Amino acid sequence: MRQWLPFITLLLVLISSCGEDPKELPVPNIHEVKDIGILSTSEYTVGKVIRLNDPPEEWYKYGERKILISCKAKIKAGVDLSKLNEGDIKVAGKTIEIILPPAEITSFTMDPKDIHTEMESITGFRSGFTQKDKNDFLRQGEASIREDIMETNILQKAERDARKFLKDFYSEMGFEEIIIKHTPYEKSE
Amino acid sequence: MRKVNEWVRLLKNIAILGGIGLVAFLIYRYFANSNNDTLIDRTPIHIESIKTIAEISTVSYKDEVVIDTVERYKEIPSITEDPFSGPTAVYNRYIKRRLTLIVKGELRYGIDITDGNFKIEQNTDTIWLNLPKAKVLDINVTPSETEIFEEIGNWPDYVTTNLESKAKVKLRKSADKLQLSIKAEENARKLFNQLIITEKKLIVNFD
Repeated sequence: MRQWLPFITLLLVLISSCGEDPKELPVPNIHEVKDIGILSTSEYTVGKVIRLNDPPEEWYKYGERKILISCKAKIKAGVDLSKLNEGDIKVAGKTIEIILPPAEITSFTMDPKDIHTEMESITGFRSGFTQKDKNDFLRQGEASIREDIMETNILQKAERDARKFLKDFYSEMGFEEIIIKHTPYEKSE
Repeated sequence: MRKVNEWVRLLKNIAILGGIGLVAFLIYRYFANSNNDTLIDRTPIHIESIKTIAEISTVSYKDEVVIDTVERYKEIPSITEDPFSGPTAVYNRYIKRRLTLIVKGELRYGIDITDGNFKIEQNTDTIWLNLPKAKVLDINVTPSETEIFEEIGNWPDYVTTNLESKAKVKLRKSADKLQLSIKAEENARKLFNQLIITEKKLIVNFD
């Protein structure tokens, strides 16, 4: 029995090393307040089903893991008015000409209340999905939404809406001719 | 002959040690979560709604909050009482379950004139621009800015959702202390002064 003692000790040390030490709670960073000037003109709400099929890739794993998570993202687009340079707004009598910066995504949020695990299946000896796993899948889903939203006409719509808003605004101000262009490319009304 | 036996014993011991190490490694790999390289399938997005809005954000507030929930053992467990938790329980100082999130978020303050709820009046020397009061327009929280810092034990989804919702409330409370609505109105005033090039006097009111 005595000769097995070092082996048992080693085994215990190895198993215990798999456990996690408690971490100290992190101290949050200091907040940041910034002056901005963003005009958001379009808001899209999109849904996505995050699908993962995790078959065993290693020879010693047996069983499958599958998950379906549904989520929603609210995306706003518009123009950053703080990027207007001197000379981008020209007034001549009742005519005003504005060169707007190109439209961009101005806000992106995924409300946790709109995230639901629709299906989860674990077979064999596979471990279940942790919250860390799910957050990792959601991060990938978010990246995919950010990429796919650019395929929709969100930016073009945001530019159109920005032009319409400013035309209405300046016409209310009494301007008769309102010319609005976008940089770096020009788009005719 | 005795020396040969000692060598054989030494080799046997090394082989057993190696075997134990291999078994421990396989057990670890089997149960360890290795999702870093697990990729989700490609699925399309579906557009649920499209709205035309008119929101002018003039202040951005970024902050990071830590939200934590802990469940402790009522009594200090011994290994004999809880043989499956083993040395891990000892290491975790009697914490049964713990979930800690670090949430980075952004709040946007500004004015919402989506419904055309602004009024412009003018006479020969003054322009009055009446705008609605500044408010929080967005609380941006995303999975990429959310970190599951510590996860001990199994946690259902609703706990994470509740913690994230609490994080949003905490972010909002911290921002409210700074009275950023006032700053947002000041910035909106400056912005409209840049947008409205006129020789007349511009007065911007919020109500």
